[in-house]
Amino acid sequence: MAEDLLTVSALSAGYLGEDVLSEVTLDVASGEAVAVIGSNGAGKTTLLRAICGLLPTTAGSVHFGQTKLTGLGAHSIARAGIAFVPAERHLFPTMSVRDNLSLGAYPKRHQHAKLEFVFELFPRLEERGGQHAGTMSGGEQQMLAVGRALMSEPRLLVLDEPTTGLSPLLATEAYSALAKLRADGLTILVAEQQVPLALSLADRGYVLDHGKIQLSGQAAELADDPGVRKAYMGVT
Amino acid sequence: MTAVVLDGIVLGLQLGLLGVGLTLVYGLGGVLNLAHGQFAVLGAIVIARMLDASFSLWVAIPVGLVCIGLVGLLIDLTLMRPVYKLRGEERVLLGLLLMLGVGTIIDGLLEWRYPIEALSIRISGDPVPILGVSMRIGGLVGSGIALVAGAALFVFFRFSTFGRATRSVIQDEEGARLCGINPATVRTTIFALSAVLAGLVAIARAMTAPIVVTGGVRLTILALIVAVVGGLGSVSGAFLAGILLGVVSTVSAFYIGSYITSIILLATAAITIVFRPSGLLGHRP
Ligand SMILES: Nc1ncnc2c1ncn2[C@@H]1O[C@H](COP(=O)(O)OP(=O)(O)O)[C@@H](O)[C@H]1O
Ligand SMILES: [Mg+2]
Repeated sequence: MAEDLLTVSALSAGYLGEDVLSEVTLDVASGEAVAVIGSNGAGKTTLLRAICGLLPTTAGSVHFGQTKLTGLGAHSIARAGIAFVPAERHLFPTMSVRDNLSLGAYPKRHQHAKLEFVFELFPRLEERGGQHAGTMSGGEQQMLAVGRALMSEPRLLVLDEPTTGLSPLLATEAYSALAKLRADGLTILVAEQQVPLALSLADRGYVLDHGKIQLSGQAAELADDPGVRKAYMGVT
Repeated sequence: MTAVVLDGIVLGLQLGLLGVGLTLVYGLGGVLNLAHGQFAVLGAIVIARMLDASFSLWVAIPVGLVCIGLVGLLIDLTLMRPVYKLRGEERVLLGLLLMLGVGTIIDGLLEWRYPIEALSIRISGDPVPILGVSMRIGGLVGSGIALVAGAALFVFFRFSTFGRATRSVIQDEEGARLCGINPATVRTTIFALSAVLAGLVAIARAMTAPIVVTGGVRLTILALIVAVVGGLGSVSGAFLAGILLGVVSTVSAFYIGSYITSIILLATAAITIVFRPSGLLGHRP
């Protein structure tokens, strides 16, 4: 077993002084794909934002390799090697696709190899290179958000509901792109409501409910778990 | 008529440069710098004092610009820290009030210490004929400064890594942070740059009309109008609005009277807000 890349220990965080997450513990090993599944309002976004430094934490700690991330700003965490793709994408709407991508590599100037890699994964982005990000379709914006995240050559890719706003077909395509990245050895942490898709990508999963980890295990085990099937996969 | 329009363009380029500084700081963090005009005057008075002390223009100008840049840097690192901790309306209000205070203090200090100081820069040379109008050399050099500064800003924001990072913070601060960009560093740098630009406007203007210690408030108001018409946060919008307002201003001063020019400028800003709330080239975040 590879050593842990991300270690989250008893992490609590919330809004306006009230904790939404309570003592969440999870880890992601190098080269692994891990899914955090749960229904709307379970606290998935809160958890990812707390890990990535977008939300202050109230207790617990986050380590990335040997580096303690707790208390660092989002930009420092990004530079440490964690790229976060939020559900709302947060692209730069009146900048071109290429400018968006090149900002993903900030502050590196030599980006050719990485740009080629992204264009190979998403040929659509190369065709749309000069177009403003804000004028693209939902599916293209999702590709751009992932592409921008990859430009920094992250050691961990974190995605919050990458299927948000996508048709079932595009959602499946988004996950097959993630599967390719995973096969290339990229470590992935993804939060998802569309549980079957997430579990098809992941090696392991955590079930989050009311801000607590209720269950965790191998993705195949979770997919067979009657409770999980009933609650999240529409099986009665 | 040509002469009036050309004068308007000369004025407009300066107005554009004045508006750019205000628009950038607002776009980056929601701080409406109501001391922007006072920054310009402070820079001018530093230069005027040095000229009085017989330094050459080539020494006085860089020193003046560095001084005003340092003042901007210092204000961002101290007064603006609590402002950026706030969000939304509270941030806008506190930023606006603090900068109004800074402007008042600069005004008060200058009027108390150097009541009759003023900066005029005389450029010797014969008038140059342009489109059949003989243009004074001072106005042309002043416009040249504004044009070169505008072009440099354009190149900086379009092609440099830090310039692009600045635009990214204006467009989506959270997206910028996720790219590893520290908005605080960008804001501090641009706040200082904006103060230097204010100083540069004072230098350009001093080539056509003296900059007096009491001129700050008027410059702030002009900057505000230009930034609103151009679209808060838009660099090219500020220059476009500057030229438009410069021409409107000289034409109305010539045909109607200068007493009414300020009202016409304010009306232009008001009409823009009604019909194009995001300004000529602005975009809603
Ligand atoms: N900005 C916010 N302010 C206050 N409460 C919030 C905020 N964002 C989310 N919450 C609350 O936190 C809980 C978890 O939300 P979230 O992390 O978005 O869940 P998920 O991503 O799993 O749908 C919900 O009860 C939600 O109402
Ligand atoms: Mg969510």
